[in-house]
Amino acid sequence: MPIAHTPTAVPVIVDEAKCIADKGCTVCVDVCPLDVLRISDLTGKAYMKYDECWYCMPCETDCPTGAVTVNIPYLLR
Amino acid sequence: MTVFEPFEAFGDLEEIAERLASEDPSVRRLAVLDLVEMSSGEVVPLLAGAILDAEPMVRQQAAQALGEFDGIEVAKALIGAVPDPVAEVARAAADSLAELRDPEASSVLLPLVTHPAAFVRAAVFRALKALQVDASLGPAIRGLGDDDSAVRVQAVGVIGYLKKTETLPSLISATRDKSADVRLAAVNALSFARSEVGAQAAAAALSDPEWQVRAAAAEAIGRIGQASAAGALIASLADGYWQVRQKALQNLGRLRVRDEVEAIVAFLDDELPSLRKDAAAALGDIADPRSRDALTRHTGDADPDVRKTVIWALGQIGSG
Amino acid sequence: MDEIKSGLTEVVCDVLVIGGGTAGPMAAYKAKRHSPGARVVLLEKANVKRSGAIAMGMDGLNNAVVPGYATPEQYTKEITIANDGICDQAPVYKYASRCFKIIQELDGFGIKFQKNENGDFDVKKVHHLGSYVLPMPNGDTVKKALYRQLRREKVLISNRYMATRLLTGRDGQIAGAIAVNTRNAEFLVLRAKTVILCAGAAGRLGLPQSGYLWGTYENATNSGDGYAMAYHAGAALANLECYQINPLIKDYNGPACAYVAGPFGAYTTNSEGNRFIECDYWSGQMMQEFYSELQSGKGPVFLKLNHLHSDTIGKIEAVLHQVERPSRGRFHENRGTNYRERMIEMHISEIGFCSGHSASGVYVDEFARTTVSGLYAAGDMASVPHNYMLGAFTNGAVAGEHAAEVAVNIDLADYNAADVVREQQRVLAATRREDGIPPNQLEYKTRRFVNDYLQPPKVTAKMKLGQARFAEIREDMESAMVVRDAHELMRSLEAASILDCAEMAAFASLFRTESRWGLYHHRVEYPEKNDDDWLCHSILRKRDGRMIAEKRPVAPYIVPIDESERSAYDSQRIRQHA
Repeated sequence: MPIAHTPTAVPVIVDEAKCIADKGCTVCVDVCPLDVLRISDLTGKAYMKYDECWYCMPCETDCPTGAVTVNIPYLLR
Repeated sequence: MTVFEPFEAFGDLEEIAERLASEDPSVRRLAVLDLVEMSSGEVVPLLAGAILDAEPMVRQQAAQALGEFDGIEVAKALIGAVPDPVAEVARAAADSLAELRDPEASSVLLPLVTHPAAFVRAAVFRALKALQVDASLGPAIRGLGDDDSAVRVQAVGVIGYLKKTETLPSLISATRDKSADVRLAAVNALSFARSEVGAQAAAAALSDPEWQVRAAAAEAIGRIGQASAAGALIASLADGYWQVRQKALQNLGRLRVRDEVEAIVAFLDDELPSLRKDAAAALGDIADPRSRDALTRHTGDADPDVRKTVIWALGQIGSG
Repeated sequence: MDEIKSGLTEVVCDVLVIGGGTAGPMAAYKAKRHSPGARVVLLEKANVKRSGAIAMGMDGLNNAVVPGYATPEQYTKEITIANDGICDQAPVYKYASRCFKIIQELDGFGIKFQKNENGDFDVKKVHHLGSYVLPMPNGDTVKKALYRQLRREKVLISNRYMATRLLTGRDGQIAGAIAVNTRNAEFLVLRAKTVILCAGAAGRLGLPQSGYLWGTYENATNSGDGYAMAYHAGAALANLECYQINPLIKDYNGPACAYVAGPFGAYTTNSEGNRFIECDYWSGQMMQEFYSELQSGKGPVFLKLNHLHSDTIGKIEAVLHQVERPSRGRFHENRGTNYRERMIEMHISEIGFCSGHSASGVYVDEFARTTVSGLYAAGDMASVPHNYMLGAFTNGAVAGEHAAEVAVNIDLADYNAADVVREQQRVLAATRREDGIPPNQLEYKTRRFVNDYLQPPKVTAKMKLGQARFAEIREDMESAMVVRDAHELMRSLEAASILDCAEMAAFASLFRTESRWGLYHHRVEYPEKNDDDWLCHSILRKRDGRMIAEKRPVAPYIVPIDESERSAYDSQRIRQHA
């Protein structure tokens, strides 16, 4: 059974211009209770890797530069 | 098996200090965050340095960080940042000052109650409030005459937290302040005094032009608990705001004065279910048998909360 | 990151706390304060800084027993009645007697409770039964403040490790736990003299109506791992059929916040704008009334604030949109809903296990001890009914102190090395397959069947069908699940916990052949409460590899409930058959 990938619009958006993950920041990745954020090897910025969001907002609240925005997942909106 | 400790590190002060000296402000800012994580008082001198950083975002982070620590050194560092030209830094420093709990910190705060900037004066009074030291009392009473209403509100807070009977005259004068915020704070603050003079001041505030102040005054009368103020509450049952009428009903119940049950009974027919409910609750608190018949007529009210409260009230009368 | 590596480390400690949410940090803190020389480890599958049900704090206490406002006796009585008589009062009374000290202690940590202008706690009276509500308008800092205390006390914090099974010694006493790293799949064996389970609710049991697996009432990270671990270690679990179901904002799935908005004058209404709830207590009976109204011609149900003054609503928004579930404001904004203009549509949540709001939990006594020697439980997963956040803190403290005291006086138990090998094989089996079924599909299917077959009203034939479906899913999980990275490995283990909980929910519900706790256990074929046969706990446990259930008497009341009070509650048992 090969595995397919179904596209989803992820709720957590990162403003790459503001994100300082490339300077060593991992705050949003650390504080996510569901551990769905990662730092991209390509851009050095944070992004949402897994669409498993409780829209709880520590990532947004604790981000030191205000780079993260949590939207309500589309299915709930 | 490998040898390794799967536990969070407690942080290395020297290593973080190096990053604090980085050219890159983002790196300095992250270093500040790591200092907070260490959660130990030994990081305070480094944070006190960071709050003087050339870059506002580092200063802001440091001001915020200092809120997690306590003591005179923290207070000194923060006071320096309250007049910061960048508003976010100033606000963060003021907020952090309000987190101080060490009474010793008052010694550095008190000299600043006459600072030329109103924002600083307000922040200082706000911080002094939580420290609850008697030495703040005189400056706070003088602060009631400050030109800035935000400062006066905080000064009321300092006095209210200390709960000294001798401050009642100043709190009472603050209930007549030109700013509604100050009047509201003062009315709330004077309810610690279980005295006639406090009750009369609260009763006077029932004719305040602002409905929130009037509602708070009704609440204060209930807390003060002097039956003599019941008449003023009865008059407030005709207030133009239902919110004030509701508070009046609730606090008439608290005073347990039996003279005026008729006025309360009338509210069992009010169009607002919340007022019917609070009327029934007040009648239950007062437990005067004269209200039994009226309550009995309302056991079938359309609103379940009213019905329940009516039945409870009848129970109170039955057993009282 | 997330790549699966092999590795096994063993660490030794005195007290191991599993779960760094609410009860866990308090348990670890108290254990360390009690025995400063002890090695206390706090294990958390996320990061203690922001984990568990109160990741974003809490907007208030709804069960604060503050001197001058309520007494422990009164509280114990009310909880006993609200839980339909099935209540061992000793732990409830202990909570009620101690919780005010805990509030003061939390206040000292810098956690902010609302104070009046005289610096006193601003307890709110919501109804005539007693005043238990203490708002926390700045409650978003709870976790940070706790974390500082843990660091100061030098508690050993182990983030990103998910405990998968408890280890027991030869005589069944606790010996530690096995955990797996959620970022690289390396194993950790933690030997401990005492273990405190604080792994939270089983909040990912039912499927929210949105179909989004993560859109649950509880923090979706709380997947019932503690219930599953306790079960596999042989501990007794109590009254699991007493589900948690809560009123909530429809679709958003956030709490209804009657306790925040209530003191300001907001209330729950039907579509005609009228109140309909008869029940005095936050209970399954209240939920039954809520459910009936939803299903009736007067449904759906709404939260009514639009009669309040705009300034008052501003104050409510300042709390609701900052603390606990702050994305709520964004949800309303998307929908164009303003509290000032219209009522807010409400609904009920999916089912779960949670003693925080109901009573389903691992059985504990007044020292937070489970039935396994050396194993404790506290918070949403322990059986102290209706204990909410303050109960998690208070009972966590009780557990931490007792577990530290016991640990001082005993030796480490030896575990069986074969158990570790077996557990590694179980955990890693899905990583060794090239293809198969991913965990999210297994989870979705389990939870969809939970809704189809276990959600009340409960029907015997449906629950049995559910059991058959769960057995099929288990077979798929064991023979065909595939996992591709360490993150997915965590999800696969959670899916296994969820399936365990689903089976326990069905089993416990079938065992109790009566209806009790209103909607929570409404059995259609047994519509009446039957005190003669069922005024007792139902206890579920694993014996010889199989699930069994038995009755356990309710401990004699220490605070008597007189007949009129009980019948007053029974008389609210209305419209159940309407």
